[in-house]
Amino acid sequence: MRLDFDTYKEILDTLTRNKSRSFLTGFGVFWGVFMLVGLIGGGSGLKEILSNNFEGFATNSAIVFAQPTTKPYDGYRKGRKWNMDYNDVKRLKAQVPELDIVTPMLSGWGSKVTFKDKKTSCSVKGLLPDYAKVESPKLYYGRYLNDMDMQQHRKVCVLGKKIYKNLFPGGGDPCGQLVRIDSIYYCVVGIDYSSGNISINGRAEESVVIPLTLMQKAYNYGNQVHLICVTAKRGVKMSTITQKMRDVIARSHSVSPSDEKAITVFNTEVMFGMLDNLFSGVNFLIWLVSIGTLLAGAIGVSNIMMVTVRERTIEIGIRRAIGATPKSILGQIISESIILTSVAGMSGIFFAVVILQLAEMANTTDGIVTSHFQIGFWTAIGAVVILSILGVLAGLAPAFRAMSIKPVDAMRDE
Amino acid sequence: MIHLKDINKTYRGAQPLHVLKGINLDIEEGEFVSIMGASGSGKSTLLNILGILDNYDSGEYFLGDTLIKDLSETRAAEYRNHMIGFIFQSFNLIGFKTAVENVELPLFYQGVGRKKRHQLAMEYLERLGLLPWAEHYPNEMSGGQKQRVAIARALITQPRLILADEPTGALDSKTSVEVMQLLKKLNEEEHKTIVVVTHESGVANETNKIVHITDGLIGKIEENLDHHASPFGINGVMK
Repeated sequence: MRLDFDTYKEILDTLTRNKSRSFLTGFGVFWGVFMLVGLIGGGSGLKEILSNNFEGFATNSAIVFAQPTTKPYDGYRKGRKWNMDYNDVKRLKAQVPELDIVTPMLSGWGSKVTFKDKKTSCSVKGLLPDYAKVESPKLYYGRYLNDMDMQQHRKVCVLGKKIYKNLFPGGGDPCGQLVRIDSIYYCVVGIDYSSGNISINGRAEESVVIPLTLMQKAYNYGNQVHLICVTAKRGVKMSTITQKMRDVIARSHSVSPSDEKAITVFNTEVMFGMLDNLFSGVNFLIWLVSIGTLLAGAIGVSNIMMVTVRERTIEIGIRRAIGATPKSILGQIISESIILTSVAGMSGIFFAVVILQLAEMANTTDGIVTSHFQIGFWTAIGAVVILSILGVLAGLAPAFRAMSIKPVDAMRDE
Repeated sequence: MIHLKDINKTYRGAQPLHVLKGINLDIEEGEFVSIMGASGSGKSTLLNILGILDNYDSGEYFLGDTLIKDLSETRAAEYRNHMIGFIFQSFNLIGFKTAVENVELPLFYQGVGRKKRHQLAMEYLERLGLLPWAEHYPNEMSGGQKQRVAIARALITQPRLILADEPTGALDSKTSVEVMQLLKKLNEEEHKTIVVVTHESGVANETNKIVHITDGLIGKIEENLDHHASPFGINGVMK
């Protein structure tokens, strides 16, 4: 194949000689590439939207809470109400070494938080500082709770994003201001901007966090805790130690260790695992569908090239008679196929990129892209490489047929 | 120039067909020869072998000093391109290319640059009086014009041998005469070796040597320098 302007002119001529046919053939490839790129981008964008919901939440964690028993045990009837207390936290820490963090939570609903003339409803959570390792806060102003707050039972609070926006519509650093929650005044020490959709007794952006020790006193909870959040050490599967945790708690509260309802262990690992599985399934489908479509397009190209070669038997015969080598004929047909697939494919990539850009723009809030739909540069390069390979493969069979045309065939076909 | 020694060719198939049964033929440089024979006599097969379009089973074929035998397709294409110019009965121009592009094509396969190619093609078209038709497509030209374009294409690589397969087969008698005169002139003025395959005695009469082929064997070879061999050979070509 000579690098000659006429080589390209010739390819262009043959492709444009039958415009509608080239267009329809190219459309198969176009659509295949559009599907491939569009679906890859769309899939990863959707995944990001979904995982935004669990943002900042430890993936290998569980939440333990008490519910009325469903089994009679140790002389007690079923349906008995019971509560966990702070000792359960200590027991879990001592008796289940696989656990990394064990942190309790107290929570109250329907509280009102007031600042000057602004008032909003919230859920109040009493937490320990190490809760930050279960659901990491995104502090916009100030700090999170610390050990000093616990020891001294300080009346301090961290506000969620929505509450901050309601109470301080003018913005600015609110640290040091006093807000009233129910009937007690608290000093604001931090603003948490995390906006994950995981709701443990109220979403982070709608809750006020105060020290657990203070909440036990202020709301008269004694030693009681509502929830215990735990994370497992690296390499430990949460599901393998669930029963062990249940045993530890059941023993000291006369609850049947087999009562999975009474001691509910909500395992986020299972949830995240499901999500992962879902997306690997979706990904598999995406690749299956789009590679299939792309292949169908390439086969279409191959098919049409086959017809074209058949039509051009005489022409190819003439070329051979006046000195075209088999290699130059091979090159010509394969180039035609590559040009057809790559032009169609490039426009497919381009179109998909435009659509993905629009989707990304639609998902932008405050100039911050919340989820990235756009495909990466290397994905695009990969798509181009796949296309060129497909072009060669599609041209191969027709090109070999063209190569087998003998010059005498041209004269025989008269 | 051409030296054929005991050429045999059999077409294989359900019924093997022994077409050439030992052809011995010598054609010297600068000769103007016609090969005549009835259809089925093997003259087209012989021409295909002469033009390296087909291979033969046994024997020897020397073109110039080169033994043409069992060549690879690439070598065959190269020899065809450099040594032989073809003129076909049905012109065999490429329909979607203009006259000048058709003439350029052999040079394209030689790797000649674009500008030079175009210039040479225009030169040859001018020599054949086709300059005004250079940008016309074959379907816009008459048969005679098309055949002249084809002749220009055959000449452009300056081959030593020109093979014409029934060059007047698709032309009327007037243009046939013109084409034959053109070939004659080429032979006389440029001393090209020209081999014409035909079944028309009038066409053969225009050549200087007539080789008769019957049933795959060379019959008699006539010297025909006075061009009066055919009773209808004066001032016209018998169709």
